[in-house]
Amino acid sequence: MPKHLPPLRRPALALLALAMLAAPARADVAQVVSDHALPGYARLTAATAALAAEPGCDPNRLRPLYHKAFDAWLAVAHLRLGPVEDEGRVLAIAFWPDPKGLGQKAQAALLAAADPAVLAPDRMREQSVAARGLFGLERLLYPAAPLTGDYACALIHANAADLARMAAEIEAGWHDGFAAALTAPGPGGRYLTETEARQALLTALVTGLEFNADQRLGRPLGTFDKPRPERAEARASGRSLRDVQLSLLALRQFAQKLLPQSPQTQAAFDKALTAADRLQDPTLAGVADPQNRLKIEILAQDIHAIRDAVLAEMAPALGVSVGFNAADGD
Amino acid sequence: MQRRGFLGALLAASALPRLGWADAGSPAFLAAAKDGAGAYWLQGLTVTGDTLFALPLPARGHAATAHPVRPEAVAFARRPGTFALVIDCARGVEIARLAPPPGRQFNGHGVFSADGAVLYTSEVVAEGSAGRLGLWDAAAGYRRIGEWETGGIGPHDVKRLPLSDDLIVANGGIATDPGDRTKLNIATMRPNLARIGADGRVAAVAELPGELAQNSLRHLALLPDGRVACATQWEGDAAEIVPLLTLWDADRLTPCPAPDFELLAMNNYAGSIAFNAVTGRIALTSPKGGTVQVHDARGGFVATHRRADACGIAAAGAGFVVTDGNGTISALDDAGLRPLRQTALAWDNHLVALG
Repeated sequence: MPKHLPPLRRPALALLALAMLAAPARADVAQVVSDHALPGYARLTAATAALAAEPGCDPNRLRPLYHKAFDAWLAVAHLRLGPVEDEGRVLAIAFWPDPKGLGQKAQAALLAAADPAVLAPDRMREQSVAARGLFGLERLLYPAAPLTGDYACALIHANAADLARMAAEIEAGWHDGFAAALTAPGPGGRYLTETEARQALLTALVTGLEFNADQRLGRPLGTFDKPRPERAEARASGRSLRDVQLSLLALRQFAQKLLPQSPQTQAAFDKALTAADRLQDPTLAGVADPQNRLKIEILAQDIHAIRDAVLAEMAPALGVSVGFNAADGD
Repeated sequence: MQRRGFLGALLAASALPRLGWADAGSPAFLAAAKDGAGAYWLQGLTVTGDTLFALPLPARGHAATAHPVRPEAVAFARRPGTFALVIDCARGVEIARLAPPPGRQFNGHGVFSADGAVLYTSEVVAEGSAGRLGLWDAAAGYRRIGEWETGGIGPHDVKRLPLSDDLIVANGGIATDPGDRTKLNIATMRPNLARIGADGRVAAVAELPGELAQNSLRHLALLPDGRVACATQWEGDAAEIVPLLTLWDADRLTPCPAPDFELLAMNNYAGSIAFNAVTGRIALTSPKGGTVQVHDARGGFVATHRRADACGIAAAGAGFVVTDGNGTISALDDAGLRPLRQTALAWDNHLVALG
């Protein structure tokens, strides 16, 4: 395991099974909000605040805090609805994939200009979304070439403070209206009916699964003739596979809160998580090696199989489907 | 621009329907839908979204077009289409049914000539997806009278320019398998907007710059000054963020970018587009993003509104009416989206303004 990465904590399967027995037949939207989204955002606020509060620029102190913040983000990153959609926050927190290297370019420009005025909170929030957030910090904490000087250090702190601000704003936005919009839908609200709120969550679940298979794994997989290991997410900080694992764990909890009785779906999650555990390939470098590549392809297939189980089992039980038009293309 | 607008208004006044569209009871919109039992319908709707008539469709519908004089509209099947229905909109009944000739497939859209004598249908040659406009004699029971080339692959929407018999065809650029819609040429696609003269010749072809070659030009909204707003669907790397609104002006295309994070909310896909001549706003829907994005008439970004599976859109009053796959018909203005009516139907891709 790379230095600074805390061990992955997995909920005991027996405990999960007990929780499933104890839950009501249809926990649904309120359960997702109270047991998944709100605690997840509270942890993101706390973890990003802890990173922002770290004085100095010792990488050995900053990196573990960075990983905790990234871990906390993965617990809610799939909830692409509500306050995270506003003011470009979702992009500003995690600008990836970035095929044109916009983040690198924007950050290089900031470092070259070394303008102290840009570091003020109200200026930092106006900077390019590509330069900010977790991937802006990754480039500063795991730089390709050593960074020198006080400005890089100050930029780390400005970036971390900006990240903590966004996390706090998102959490506040959930408490100040969005949680109620989901749990008490009706005229004038973002969701008109319970069915629409359930559909929004099911869509987030399916989209989150596809992001893991098609982007986090699919981008480095590239094609057999042209694998693209350099495209792996968070490669510099050595957490490409970890991001998939933590996202799948979060999505499994999300699914279980949305519909406690979903044995096919939960079994599909377990299969994929087991395959991910066996990979032992933190940066997914194995995409370029035929034998290891196959294992990563199989993991991507296992994740697609979770999505298929969600659509076959959960969608009808919740009385929703992904959108009629969204699923089309014309 | 002012001159063209003035002349357009003059022409519109002189071309007012003698009878028909003004009749009480004619719907404001047509829209296709699917019901809970899986059956497909074409509905005529009032401006507030109430149903005036519902006609069964043999399969999934897509868009429709209105006759310029008679209260008649033609509703098209979703591509690859095998039927189009001619509807008497005042009575809400089907009066003719068209089928493409062998080896041709309807592509979901069509338009009438200015005098209403000819219906043009967007079609492909089934093998290879070469674009064709089918010509039908609207005065003689919609007899097939010929076809023209569209100057591109996989044509989708087609509109007639104001004050003109010139047609604009959105050649989406995508070759598809005639059986299952599989896309066959994404790496080499080259969409364009082609202007077709009344003689059937391709008068001009406008393309996007090379880096946007995978931005499929698909749906069109006419502006009264002679420009055309085009909504696109990005087929390239999903991680790239590209403009989804392009303005056509005198055979040139200008992409109109929005801020990156606003574009991201559209998920690289625009399903429909409409222009409101009262407010000068252009609106694009994205069912994949669950968003409706509003621009000004120069293409400048104005606002993003959220509505899951929103797709159909048409101008109405000082705003728009939006339909979605969850059954809601909503009004949209600068204040936001407001539901007008909830139905048990999944509203399909387009809401077509009539009259």
